[in-house]
Amino acid sequence: MEIDKFRDMFLAEAAEHLESMVDILMQLDLDPQDQDGIDALFREAHSIKGMAATMEHAETTKLSHHLENRLDICRKLGRISGVEIDWLLEATDLFKLLLDDIRNNHEERCVASFIATSPKETGTSTTLDSPQRKDPLSSEGEGLLVQLQLKATVAAPGPRFLVLLKTLSKFGTIIESTPSTDELLQGNVPDQLFVRLLSDTPQEQIKQQLLRYSELQEITFPGKINKPVKSLSKSPADKTVRISTELLDHFINLTGELITNRYQLQNALKEKNWQELDDGVGQLKRLVKNLHHQVLKVRMVSLEGLTGRLSRTVHDLSRSLAKEIQLKVEGAEIELDRAIVEELTDPLVHMVRNAVDHGIESRGTVSIKAWRERDQILIQVADDGRGIDPEKIRQKALDKGFLNPSQAQTIRDYDLFQLLCRPGFSTAQEVSQTSGRGVGMDVVKTAVEHIGGILLIDSAPGEGARITLKVPLSLAIIRVLIVECNGAKMAMPISRVIQTAEIAPEEVQSSGKQLMINYHDERLPLISLRKILKYSKNVALDPIPLVITEVLGRKIGLVVDQLVGQQEVYVQRLPAPFDQIRGCSGGTILGDGQIIFLLDLQSLFERRRG
Amino acid sequence: MSKRVLIVDDALFMRTMLRDIFTTAGWQVIAEAETGEQAITAYHEQQPDLVTMDLVMPEMGGIEALQAILRDAPDAAIVVCSALGQKSLILDAINSGAKDFIVKPFQSAQVLEVVERVISES
Repeated sequence: MEIDKFRDMFLAEAAEHLESMVDILMQLDLDPQDQDGIDALFREAHSIKGMAATMEHAETTKLSHHLENRLDICRKLGRISGVEIDWLLEATDLFKLLLDDIRNNHEERCVASFIATSPKETGTSTTLDSPQRKDPLSSEGEGLLVQLQLKATVAAPGPRFLVLLKTLSKFGTIIESTPSTDELLQGNVPDQLFVRLLSDTPQEQIKQQLLRYSELQEITFPGKINKPVKSLSKSPADKTVRISTELLDHFINLTGELITNRYQLQNALKEKNWQELDDGVGQLKRLVKNLHHQVLKVRMVSLEGLTGRLSRTVHDLSRSLAKEIQLKVEGAEIELDRAIVEELTDPLVHMVRNAVDHGIESRGTVSIKAWRERDQILIQVADDGRGIDPEKIRQKALDKGFLNPSQAQTIRDYDLFQLLCRPGFSTAQEVSQTSGRGVGMDVVKTAVEHIGGILLIDSAPGEGARITLKVPLSLAIIRVLIVECNGAKMAMPISRVIQTAEIAPEEVQSSGKQLMINYHDERLPLISLRKILKYSKNVALDPIPLVITEVLGRKIGLVVDQLVGQQEVYVQRLPAPFDQIRGCSGGTILGDGQIIFLLDLQSLFERRRG
Repeated sequence: MSKRVLIVDDALFMRTMLRDIFTTAGWQVIAEAETGEQAITAYHEQQPDLVTMDLVMPEMGGIEALQAILRDAPDAAIVVCSALGQKSLILDAINSGAKDFIVKPFQSAQVLEVVERVISES
């Protein structure tokens, strides 16, 4: 169908409109009388409607039309209520699901049951009379709201819902339900059943009765209607990139210049005019650098999209936990590689959730700050909560056998905090009661290290906690340290390197079987890259070249044969099945045609340990 | 005391299967009926605690029999049985007063979950 050609475009644009809707909603949450904001919101809904109708996506059109109507009322009232904002946020979630349906060529899910949950108060004078936000529960009207979801395997959902509706009616009076009995009898098969029930029976008792239906997947008594899926993960639509025509023009100009350059070089070669050839190569160098720079620009996105979603996370979470938490964002305009932003989304959501859930007790601020230091981006998530008590971690590390008593005495706070990222150090419940942190931090750390970044934790009791991520600007082109081992060159992302050093053999001390060195005032274990890679015995080196790095939360001195130097390289992923090789995260071709591999120490050590 | 059930189905196979499920679970099958008319008679004579009623039967169908039984005994616990393709029949039956339904092909656990629940509610 002709219209299919436009589908990707529609999906990408609609997703953008949704993102800005969420952003505007978050702003309106702070200033509910911002007329421009409400106007802008109306326009976003209107744009989605126009596109969806053109594409003949009926349910998406229906939902956006409904939103448009409601927002029109808000426009006339000159304000938007907190309940309405919450509901509209949920509507954006539903939009995302609808877009997923369209993307996956599924039939769009039905929006009628969601529309039926629209807050009742918007169009009435109550909003005018009560500028203060109302509690979402009380504003929902009379009765108990019951939301039922069946398992996907249920053979006859329509009849099952009908039986459930009858069962619920035994507890009192059903004020309304979506779908209604009549709709069910007409063969309407919904995803979920929403019932508003007026009953004297305690909620728990009703729930017990409902639990006897093994067909039920989920029974909820929402103060407001919960949408089943709230996904923050990126959708495949993000894979398309929109670039400005200006940038495209730039590419065309560059291509033109490259063509001219080619003739210049060919000519110089034919005439053996070395000066001309030299000029030509110089010109080529300049052009390629420019091209690289521009291409990188296409891949760069700002953190704004991500931080926008995070403010949503904080909003939803603090509301559900009845906490007063603000999100402060600094440096959202910082740009980095789109692939990195995608990789960072889940870890950052995790960190922010941790801060809201465990870091801050009842009110406070979570701040996200991003800044650039040379070719690295630093992103810091901080809270002003109770902080992490190193003593508690120390005790726990002792109890769990992560440290022996003498290590526990000498370990520095920095390394102590890194223990939080060790797999198995903590489980959610235990830590939220003790140190208040550590939920899934090992997962976060692994994700950050996967893209060549590092994670630092810093905190003190009563002073909140700061988690800093250092990540490379771009995944494709990164600065690496090239080392040599057993005659082979290999590379490590510079972002993983703390320092390089050369030490005299006399400086090496032994502690049992382990060789150690003093690095500043720390004792670091020496580990030989030859040994890890199972090459022949170590050769005697004087001085000994070292790479100070951090693996699995521990600082180590990695002994290599030679430190070759630093370089910017274009890293390519290895094609299957080579991508399965542990210890190697990609390859690159050096200027002289040599192929070198990128060392992934993390996985090498995991193998070694295992 | 064990619960007393009346099984209504025109297929011997289904009746045997249900009988098996019920007796294994400690129920007492007090009668079986092959038609709607037989079901009505058996209900009046035996006053069972629960009826499983096939919906598609020759002559008088399940819905008609169900309505007839409920006219005299409005609280009768009747669970209808039907094949998957007959959802509108199931909807009609529930609307007519069936307490619950079982979709064929069924498994003993599903059958027992439904009937135990219905019995406890009635």
